Amino acid sequence: MLEKTGVATEQDLARVTPSKERRAKGPVAVIECFQRIPCNPCQTACKTGAIKEFKDINDTPEIDHDACTGCGLCVSSCPGLSIVVVDETYSEEEALVKIPYEFLPLPEAGSFVTGLDREGKPVCRAKVVKVLNTKSMDRTPVVSLAVPKDMSMTVRFIKLNDYFSDNTIVCRCEELTMGELRELIRKGYNTVDEIKRISRAGMGPCQGRTCRQLIMQEIAAATGTKMADLTVSTYRPPVKPVKLGTIAGGEHGE
Amino acid sequence: MRTTEIAIIGGGPAGLRAAISAASMGAKVTIIERNENLGGQLVKQTHMFFGSQKQYASTRGIDIAEILLKDLDKYKDRIEIMTNATVLSIFEDGVISIEQDDKYLKIKPQSVIVTTGASEKFLAFPNNDLPGIYGAGAVQTLMNVHGVAPGRSVVMVGAGNIGLIVSYQLMQAGIEVKAILDASPRIGGYLVHASKIRRMGIPILTSHTVKYAHGTDKLQKVTICQLDEKFQQIPGTERDIETDVLCISVGLSPLTELLWQAGCNMKYIPELGGHVPVRDKDLQTSIKGVYVAGDVAGVEEASSAMVEGRLAGLCAAKALGHATADFEELHNDCIEQLNSLRSGHVGEKIRKGLEQVAM
Amino acid sequence: MNKTASVVIIGGGISGASIAYNLAKKGVKDIIVVEKKFLTSGSTGRCGAGIRMQWGTEMNCRLSKFSTEFYETANEVLEYEGDIEFKQGGYLIVAATEKEDEQFKKNVALQNSLGIPTVYLTPKEAKKIIPHMDETKIISATFCQKDGHLNPFHTTQAFANAAERLGVKFMKYTEVTGIKVENGKVVGVQTDKGFISTPVVVNAAGGYSKQIGEMAGVDIPVYAERHQILVTEPVNQMQDPMYMGFALNVYIQQTPHGSFIMGRSGENEPRDLRITSSWDFTEKMAKDACTLLPMLKDLRVVRQWAGLYTMSPDRQPIYSKAGNVEGFYMSTGFSGHGFMLGPVTGVVMSEMILGEKPSLPIEKLGLDRFEKGELLFEPSVV
Repeated sequence: MLEKTGVATEQDLARVTPSKERRAKGPVAVIECFQRIPCNPCQTACKTGAIKEFKDINDTPEIDHDACTGCGLCVSSCPGLSIVVVDETYSEEEALVKIPYEFLPLPEAGSFVTGLDREGKPVCRAKVVKVLNTKSMDRTPVVSLAVPKDMSMTVRFIKLNDYFSDNTIVCRCEELTMGELRELIRKGYNTVDEIKRISRAGMGPCQGRTCRQLIMQEIAAATGTKMADLTVSTYRPPVKPVKLGTIAGGEHGE
Repeated sequence: MRTTEIAIIGGGPAGLRAAISAASMGAKVTIIERNENLGGQLVKQTHMFFGSQKQYASTRGIDIAEILLKDLDKYKDRIEIMTNATVLSIFEDGVISIEQDDKYLKIKPQSVIVTTGASEKFLAFPNNDLPGIYGAGAVQTLMNVHGVAPGRSVVMVGAGNIGLIVSYQLMQAGIEVKAILDASPRIGGYLVHASKIRRMGIPILTSHTVKYAHGTDKLQKVTICQLDEKFQQIPGTERDIETDVLCISVGLSPLTELLWQAGCNMKYIPELGGHVPVRDKDLQTSIKGVYVAGDVAGVEEASSAMVEGRLAGLCAAKALGHATADFEELHNDCIEQLNSLRSGHVGEKIRKGLEQVAM
Repeated sequence: MNKTASVVIIGGGISGASIAYNLAKKGVKDIIVVEKKFLTSGSTGRCGAGIRMQWGTEMNCRLSKFSTEFYETANEVLEYEGDIEFKQGGYLIVAATEKEDEQFKKNVALQNSLGIPTVYLTPKEAKKIIPHMDETKIISATFCQKDGHLNPFHTTQAFANAAERLGVKFMKYTEVTGIKVENGKVVGVQTDKGFISTPVVVNAAGGYSKQIGEMAGVDIPVYAERHQILVTEPVNQMQDPMYMGFALNVYIQQTPHGSFIMGRSGENEPRDLRITSSWDFTEKMAKDACTLLPMLKDLRVVRQWAGLYTMSPDRQPIYSKAGNVEGFYMSTGFSGHGFMLGPVTGVVMSEMILGEKPSLPIEKLGLDRFEKGELLFEPSVV
């Protein structure tokens, strides 16, 4: 129960969730405001008329999801931070969730964070796609997160610490992170050789001594393949970096 | 180009034993060792070895190295030793290239015994590159070779034999071990090692892993958490331990780069630590004249590495025509010793692994 | 599982990806690219990935000019989400013999007449472009700023992604085991994953194109020769252009990533599809690099590898249909230049397959030139 726990129930959410069909069409605002309080900035901010005029300032907002363009102006205007924009057309596997975020430091675009649900439980990894912080937002920046599509109606906050280790460096020579590696595997690069060629991981001075095993483990986990069945990338000379001058000098040195 | 009958790559326990046995048969041998001194990891081992008398049981590793070097000295006219010499490649025609003191050398051996050992596996977690996070081998080198304490307190990840032994050695050196973690629900190392640590009050936390390292320019604390039976982290079980050293000992993987380069047929055998070469009963790989012994052929104890080295040395020398009357006897003795070291419950994993790579 | 396609392209390198893209762009449906391993796993992923317009024959100049101009806008044209990393740092091609110097003067005149902005340089002028070179080792040089280097993996992926968006199917880890010909016509391709019925097969199999030709009963006079390369650790940018010499038998360049890539031709390289490494290459390469560009001696080699050049008798590509098998096309024999010609390969092959008027006079590059003895020797190759 919302009143007891502060967490919206399924019934509460059912009333405000845009239909599946509507979500499949593009960005749309989701207003999770359930209590009658004297407040209407969302309605004032809405330029498309999707959020209907309030008869009484205590009304809870009513939104016509079909009229909503998902512009997001209401997101940073809501004093209760109860509005997010969800865009399920972002990519084949991912949805974009735009949340208000009033903490410092702000996350960096491109980094990975932990997606939290309405109870603050870590539920998935989320990639920070954009951080918008204009003057008109008046210190309520909006963070755009790419999350797995089935998490679009679940992720409502983030933790900058990286529960799913996405910012962990896998290849130290070429600075490939776990998050980037996972993204590559998701795109279908699922052998060490393919990942090496497209990302350079394993091409640095250590020639994969540290990262090869980690990359293989991650591929195995992500694709459900046994380690024994993975193709191994080729090993080539030399085992450790050696100066051109040393090779040229041969037995006599440089 | 230099030549030799048998090149032995790596001067650890397996390599030294291989050199001694091949030279004792009459072969001309060249040992190529990357470090300044021979002995490999033996010189870091201040504890008494298991096994039987034939494998120097109850002698400390560091003293075993001395014994091997003395044996080596008996055949010094047939054994060439190259130290500070890293083998860079084994080429298609069997030529080996070496870097030694900024010089580039090539040797064409008739056979090669690869005894390169193993390297430590790594763990992926945020900030795993902070100073203060070491592999167990590095901690042993600091402590037991250079006499330097790695820090004031240590959290050990890994309760296999190496994790347990290094924890014990850390305590001996007066460094506080705060906890030993292991992702597995069971302690992997010998239980006698575990018990001697537990009785010092050090907790061994099975089904636990390190989740996060904290610190700005060096390690200050680690967040650990519990794992479920599928090795997934259980949210809400996180807790912090303040420490300036995190020591990672999550297993070894065979150092097989040269075997891959040589074109050996390799198989992934988790029981043996990763990819290892397929080999026959003489420890010859799928490439004629390329033999293996020790951890590179499958991660085991130093005692079996030494017996394997002896076996590979005998067989490589025999194949080059250095026969002695007692070859069969010596060969059988090696096989018997290996069988006995691998018998029983703890050898089960090794036996299972070896079955899959027998040629 | 058995399939049907309108065109089957054999080979997932730059040529196959580019041909697929160009056919699909012209509206061809049901194109399948069959690749034995993964995209770029063959010669494309092993090449030096340079591109130059400085050639000794008009044909090669025009082919490479077409490709260079395409690569300049490829990120946008192919709508690639990544970057093909095209860096036009130029090629400095050095002459080490009088004969070469004479040839270079002719080359520059030819290139300029075709709108390629090459300049002829004295050793001193050349040293201004690559200050760490030993200019006493050369007689003269030519330089074209528009030549350059790309990332072969991203470039191929860019073509492949664009082709996929147009409906092309890429079958990875699928090996062609036979080509079915009935009554002199191609009817399908047998793979280890099933049979594909198709009236058109394009052989873009690089080092394996001779074997693919044999499967259809087409004799292609090419052979695969091993070529080796080594790469150093990355360092700060110090050399914009490629350094290349034909008599010196060498090419050395710094990639945008910072590593130096260098290669040379071996005297007795195997022709049996082997791509192992030899010590002979490492040593000669290191000696050449230290002699010609002495500052490189402190750079550390991290890896050497090998790939296959598909050599044609006159070192020029073969863009052709088979005379004896209808529906069998080939783009092969690039002799080490298949990557740079990728864009033009896709255009001219798609035109040939669709019976369109060719954008460039490639009829001279047909298979029949070897029977007629009308070879077009390219003098400027490493």
